[in-house]
Parts: sequence; C-alpha cells; structure tokens
Amino acid sequence: MYNRISTTEIDSLVEPARLHKRLYIDRDIFELEMERIWGQAWIFIGHESQVPNTGDYFTTNITHKVPVIMVRDKEDQVHVLHNRCAHKGAKLVENREGNVRGAFRCPYHGWSYKHDGTLIKIPNEAGYEGTGFDLNDACNNMQPLAQVESYRGFVFATLSSQAPDLKTWLGGAIDCIDNLCDRSPDGEVEVAGGVLRYEHECNWKFFLENLNDTMHPMVVHQSVVQAAKDYIDSLPESATRERSEAEIILPFGSSYENFEDSGITGFRYGHHYDGGKTSIHANYTVMPEYHSRMVASYGEEKAREIYSFNTHNTLFYPSLTIKTAVQNIRVVRPVAVDRFIVETWSFRLKGAPDEMLQRTLLYSRLVNSSAGMVGPDDLEVYRRAQEGLESSGSDWVEYHRQLGRDQQLEDRVVGGGTSDLDMRTQYKAWKEFMNGEIYR
Amino acid sequence: MNNSLDIKAVETFLYEEAALLDRPDLDNWMKLFTEDGTYWMPAREDQLDALNHVSHMYDDRVMMEIRRRNFVHPRASSKDSPVRSSHLLGNIRHQGKTKQGDLRITCNFHVVMWYREEQRVYAGTCEHHLVSTADGFRIRHKRVDLINPEAPQKSLIIYL
Ligand code: FES
Ligand SMILES: [Fe+2]
Repeated sequence: MYNRISTTEIDSLVEPARLHKRLYIDRDIFELEMERIWGQAWIFIGHESQVPNTGDYFTTNITHKVPVIMVRDKEDQVHVLHNRCAHKGAKLVENREGNVRGAFRCPYHGWSYKHDGTLIKIPNEAGYEGTGFDLNDACNNMQPLAQVESYRGFVFATLSSQAPDLKTWLGGAIDCIDNLCDRSPDGEVEVAGGVLRYEHECNWKFFLENLNDTMHPMVVHQSVVQAAKDYIDSLPESATRERSEAEIILPFGSSYENFEDSGITGFRYGHHYDGGKTSIHANYTVMPEYHSRMVASYGEEKAREIYSFNTHNTLFYPSLTIKTAVQNIRVVRPVAVDRFIVETWSFRLKGAPDEMLQRTLLYSRLVNSSAGMVGPDDLEVYRRAQEGLESSGSDWVEYHRQLGRDQQLEDRVVGGGTSDLDMRTQYKAWKEFMNGEIYR
Repeated sequence: MNNSLDIKAVETFLYEEAALLDRPDLDNWMKLFTEDGTYWMPAREDQLDALNHVSHMYDDRVMMEIRRRNFVHPRASSKDSPVRSSHLLGNIRHQGKTKQGDLRITCNFHVVMWYREEQRVYAGTCEHHLVSTADGFRIRHKRVDLINPEAPQKSLIIYL
C-alpha cells in the first residue's frame, strides 16, 4: 500500500515555474497518478485497424496494472473490456493479439463470453440454481470500461464516467488526428509494419516533457547530426542524393531560431503540439506518385494545404503522441515510478504508394528504435535526470522559459517554439487531475 | 552441402568477427563487410522484409559509418558509459548458398553485455552470408534474430 497525499500537498508541488522533484521519484505520487491521471483521462488503447475481423483482439494495460482487451464483434463494433473473468478474476486473454472464434473461454473454470463481453455459458450450471445467482445479470459479464469511443479509427477508453465525450476532450488538438488521416488519398490510415517496444528506465513524464522540449535536440542529438553530416558531405553526391536518412536525421540539428519559429500550441487537459506552419519535418520530399494521388483525391490546393499543416509532436496527454508528418505514433505505458514502455506504431496512408510507409518505417527504425540513432541519447538524458533528482542539492526543477508571454486564444494558448508553454500546459492538467478539479 | 567447404575456416572467421564486437572495435569490424554489405536486426520472428516492416536495425555501409562516428563522438551521452560484450557462438552450420552464391552460415549466440552499470543477456540466432575473396571471407549480410524481438528492449548502442 502507499500513502495518501493531501490536495494541499499536491498543490504545493506544482508552482507556476517550478516542479518539486517528488513528481519524478516518489512512489506514492506515481500510484496516485495512476489512479487520478491514468484512471481519469481518455487513454489511447489502439487503432481499429489492429482488429480488422470479427473476433480479432488486442490487449494492453490502461494504467500500470489494469489489463484490457480491444475486440471486434460480429456487428463490427469495437469494444474495450476489462481483461478479467467475472467468476474469480482470471485474465481471459494472455496474448498481445489474436483472434477468438466464437467466444472468450476462461482457462480456469470455462465460463465463456461473447465478443461484446456478455456471459454465454457456465459449465455444470445446475449448481447455481436457487442460489440467487443470475446468469443474465450484467455484473456477470466481462465488464466494459466506463467510456469507450473512437475518432477516425483511434480507440480511446477511460475508467472515469465523469470524463467529457472524446471529441470535447481532444479539443483543438483533434486537427492533428484529422491531418494524419487526411494525408491519405482515401482519408484513412491503418496500422502497418509492426511495433517497436522500448523500455525506459525512468519516470514516464520525462518522455512527455521531452516531446516538445525544443531546446534539447541540438544538444542531445548533436553527435549523430554531426556524424551524419560530415560523412554524407564527404561522399560523392550520387551516393547520397537519394538517401532519406539525411532528410530524417539532419533536421534534429536545427537552430534555436528554427525551433522558435515553429511555435507551440497548448490545449485543455494537457494536450499540445509544436509546429503547424513549419516543423523539423517540413522539408521532407513530397514523392511525385503520392502527390498525384493526393491531387486526384483532393485537388492541388487542398493537397498542399494538408501538407502545410506540419506538426512535429502532438501530445494527447498522457498516453499518445502523434507525428502527423511522419505517420507514426508513440504510445506510453507506465510500469513503475522509474519505468515505462514506449511503443512505436507506424501507419499506412491508404491509397498512397508503398514508399510512404517505407519512409515511415525508416523513421521509426532510425529515430524511435531502442537501437536507433536518436532515441538512446534521449533516454540517456532522462536517466541522468532520474538519477540527478535524488540529489539533496535542490528540491526543484524549473520551467520559466518565456513565462508571461503565452497568448491565450479562445480554446488554446500559443507561444514561442522554444518556450516552456508545453510544460505549463501539461502541469496545469497534472495538478487538476491530481487534486480532483479536472472535470469540475 | 558443399563438402569442399572448410567449416573450421568459417568458424575462425565468425569468432574473429565476434571478438571485434566484444571490444568493441567498430573500425575493423566494418571492414569485414563487402561494399554492399548490410546488417539487419528484425523486430519480429521470421520477418521477411526489412523495408515494409519495422526493424530494430537495418544498416548499410553508410549507416554503419554514421553509427561508428556517433559511437566515438564525445557529445553522444549514451556512449559515456563503456560498453563491453562477450559473445559465445555455437551450433555453427553451413546451410547451402544464397541466390547470389554466397555461403549461408547460421549459428546461435549468447551475448553478455556490460553497459550502464548493468550486465544483461541477449540470445538468438545469426545468419551470415559470406563471400570468399582473395583476402578471406567478407560479410555481404548479417542477420541477427533475437529470441524476443517483440519484447520491450533497452537501449542498444552497439551491434550484436
Ligand atoms: S475464474 Fe474464470 S471461470 Fe473461474
Ligand atoms: Fe530528442
């Protein structure tokens, strides 16, 4: 068990430009985050394309512990259910993905359930007669999550019945899901090319903070940018002209001015993105075959408009980050105060040539892989922070950058690309989740 | 099976390759590859394709050189901690020839790695496509299949 923490104590940990180190190293805080942030927010579960056929399922944890199943039923409805037998609690499905033909069958006493979770049958049922047990009582089904909704194939669920509907919760950041899907000539995306799972030995919030920390790439990734640039410059042009690797790696060395220009936009509930008008992905080649298919679907002007909304990282706090211009996502799965998993999934733009998916996969491999050229240097600095914060030299980390310069618009806050606006946005939400004010 | 193949010579070559990675001596390790040589660590079991499915690594000689330069760069903080490996190879087998006519050699590996104050273990199978040259063997392709490619992996900053 862990110690409860009072609301006053929580409020004292988050100042307008300083955070207490306990946020990152205190196990009791972590348990409370699981209950109040991960237990109340809409959490990304998966994409509908991961369960294309009746009986297809995909399993994950919605918090550090709570196991859930995403499954498609006969009526083509996608459900998210607790992965738990109503009888004595056994996990019904152990595999990460697969297909159940007729029904989920519990491996313990053989209770079976429809794809939508309804209890169908209990072996040797006669023993329940006259006991007051009611087979048709919904409490004997696999339990659905409090709320489940999807938007353009992105399935979210929440353990909270208080959370507003998904669209309201996504707010203006929804533009990024739209933009990702609109980059498909058919207006639809599907998960393709497998997953990378990367173990991070540090607190999950370091990863979220780093997404739009635009003061770090030129420092943390200086070595790989220089290694790539120096070597590629030394090669004959014919050997390197066609290489997408250069297009992907070199922008990590972009200047402070470039990052400042990209801007950051923050929303309610902790969501934010950087970029929009421009980003480090803005100069990717538009492949001619892809472009002509886009023009065929949307017309030249609209196609250009779709590419021109160019974001770097969009965070749907706390579980999902999307790279619209790259067409991959990273999903955060916390495990413990100093451990979480990042899953990288790539998307095929339906109707686009294969080269588009291949570039996405190249990006995922080069940048997001645990054996990549970029990710390990990011993780190294999070781990340094995790270890450094045990120091008794100070209790605080700071985030003052451009404080007081954020501009409040109707549904969003905008500011400079190198500002700490992303920090202010997410820690405002953190505090509200943790002190219970988030849905009031 | 090609009876004229000197399996001892193949084994010696694989041991020497492994010894270079153990140190690690990437300069000399890279020289074992042909100009069109590639190194592949798939991200799923029995993966068929390195382009239409994601991988942990898939490097040609250009990417190997960039990785090598990054590896020794003083500002690559993930490389501040020393990394040392101990490869153990076994079950080395000649599996005929590839379409290109290269020797197809498979083996099992166990690698114990020391990195960031932690000792960890990797295991799996390797497939080498070897070309015989006047200077001995060269690697056209090395494929490393972990036994747990889909599991969450920790940072891997060196080739296995
Ligand atoms: S625990 Fe599932 S049938 Fe008993
Ligand atoms: Fe980074």
